[in-house]
Amino acid sequence: MTNRPVLLGGILLAVLGSLCPFLWFVLTSFKSQINVEAIPPTWWPDGRLVFYASALIEHRFLHYVRNSAIVAGGTTVIALAVATPAAYALARLRLPGKTWILGGLLCVAMFPPIVIAGPVWQILERLGGLNTHWGLILPYVSLTLPLAVWILTTFFHELPVELEEAARIDGCTTWQALYKIMLPLAAPGLFTAAILTFIYAWNEFFFALLILTDPERQTLPVGIALFQGEFITPWGELAAASVVATLPLIVIVLLFQRGIIDGLSAGAVKG
Amino acid sequence: MAGLELQRIEKTFGRTRVLHDVSLEAGDGEFIVLLGPSGCGKSTLLRIIAGLEAQTRGSVSIGGQCVDDVPPPDRDIAMVFQHYALYPHLTVRENLAFGLKMRGKPQALIKARIAETAALLEIHDLLDRKPRELSGGQQQRVAMGRAIVRKPKLFLFDEPLSNLDARLRTSMRVELKRLHQRLGTTMVYVTHDQTEAMTLGHAIVVMNHGRIQQIGRPEQIYHEPANPFVAGFIGNPPMNVFEGSFRLDQRGLEFRAGELTFRFPFQARDLIDADTGMATLGVRPEDVTLEPQGSECIAITGTIDLVENLGNDSIVHLMVKGQSLTVRTSPGLRLPAGESITAYVKNFHLFINEKRVPLPSP
Repeated sequence: MTNRPVLLGGILLAVLGSLCPFLWFVLTSFKSQINVEAIPPTWWPDGRLVFYASALIEHRFLHYVRNSAIVAGGTTVIALAVATPAAYALARLRLPGKTWILGGLLCVAMFPPIVIAGPVWQILERLGGLNTHWGLILPYVSLTLPLAVWILTTFFHELPVELEEAARIDGCTTWQALYKIMLPLAAPGLFTAAILTFIYAWNEFFFALLILTDPERQTLPVGIALFQGEFITPWGELAAASVVATLPLIVIVLLFQRGIIDGLSAGAVKG
Repeated sequence: MAGLELQRIEKTFGRTRVLHDVSLEAGDGEFIVLLGPSGCGKSTLLRIIAGLEAQTRGSVSIGGQCVDDVPPPDRDIAMVFQHYALYPHLTVRENLAFGLKMRGKPQALIKARIAETAALLEIHDLLDRKPRELSGGQQQRVAMGRAIVRKPKLFLFDEPLSNLDARLRTSMRVELKRLHQRLGTTMVYVTHDQTEAMTLGHAIVVMNHGRIQQIGRPEQIYHEPANPFVAGFIGNPPMNVFEGSFRLDQRGLEFRAGELTFRFPFQARDLIDADTGMATLGVRPEDVTLEPQGSECIAITGTIDLVENLGNDSIVHLMVKGQSLTVRTSPGLRLPAGESITAYVKNFHLFINEKRVPLPSP
């Protein structure tokens, strides 16, 4: 393997490149106010936690975390609850126009958010969904459904039909066959879909900004964006808040890492 | 009481009709084999019996009860699938228990049944493993176990041995037969392997193009095939088949296929008068011998083309007047290729209009 060093170099570059901004704000979050604004910049933090204290206590940052958890969690649960039976049906039933349904879903996912922003706002206004969590969960669910359905359809498709038939003959109804046999086997797909949905809802900014104007209900990305004061940018607090915002995602992804890798490589190798 | 009864089953997928007017009956405890080439509809028929597929027309009865409107879970059947279909996330024990659990059987009974089945199939040691930790043969046993443990009214097998290697297939075949003798439950077994069909079945149902070609005991199917398809499908190497016509003269009956002629030392006027004379003549390789025989055999001379030595016997390919003739013979004969030799045919099968016609004995 003569090009091994080259490959390794490439990997290193990609990892460093994508980690760089993250690394910078992690470092910044542990600095003191003087160090944050020092010129020339200092690299190493002086190990203070003042920004965390200030962000979490003074600026009550945790309630943004709570709001985000509610919205992202709600979106994930509802999206999967709807996507699972839909994907199962698309993978198994002899439906006319199945390809069109799947293609249509993909098209829906391609609209830029700004195109649907107006209608979504109007609909939510009529329904009384503005400034509520469910008002944000609703569009999130419809925006994440296509991806979830696609991932799960691929998964169900790969599971042998014989298993389901065996379950039927062993005494299962169609629903029982789905949740006793097919769902456990599609677990990697469920994890993948769940985590991608969760990440989307956790990070989404545009609709959150549009729909939630009440600071009590705003989610993390909006909270961070509106954090800046009138005359100064509190870089330190922003960095601390961003670390707090990213941490849950990292923990979740690390926890379910195996499941996600299995999920993303589905189709490449037979399960 | 009939174990299984099918009445005029028809099945169409879209515009394609895959089963035509299939009727058959299996007695209680009988072992029925559905035999045919791939695409003949045998698996579809099995799936209709299981309720996994709905018939377009016709009726299915299991144990004397019509099950047309009964979904698979309530048909009291068990099925062994070609690819075993063991639940990968459950251990062998949980796989065996699954069907009983779904039917709400008490723990004690489930435990006892699993012990009984494990003993019968000798799979004690595997009970706590997952299916992927088992070899193909072991998976096969577990798949059978999962069917047996439920004690159903009817067993369905969909080419269960086709994924095993040749040796294992032979031993599993014997075990399956033993199992049937011990359980005495009605079984329907789909295969394209004639050896499995011949050795396992009380009755064989030969199918082709969605139609039943013949139903009969194995020896009946072999000795009295109902039509040229059955004749050609059963037997290994396959029957020699000659298409030709009959002619009658003073010396007797003559069959002519191209340059090749067979002269039968008897007259059978009714045979000829009935038809245009066109017919199919079949000769089993084992009904031809290369050792000199008396006049009750018909002698033909050809040249040796090729010899396949199988150990316990040899397959000799002869060229006879532009037609090939396969002969099964005992090994040890010195048969150099290209040499001329006389073959003696002991027995013929005659088909007119695709139907078997018994030949008068000479």
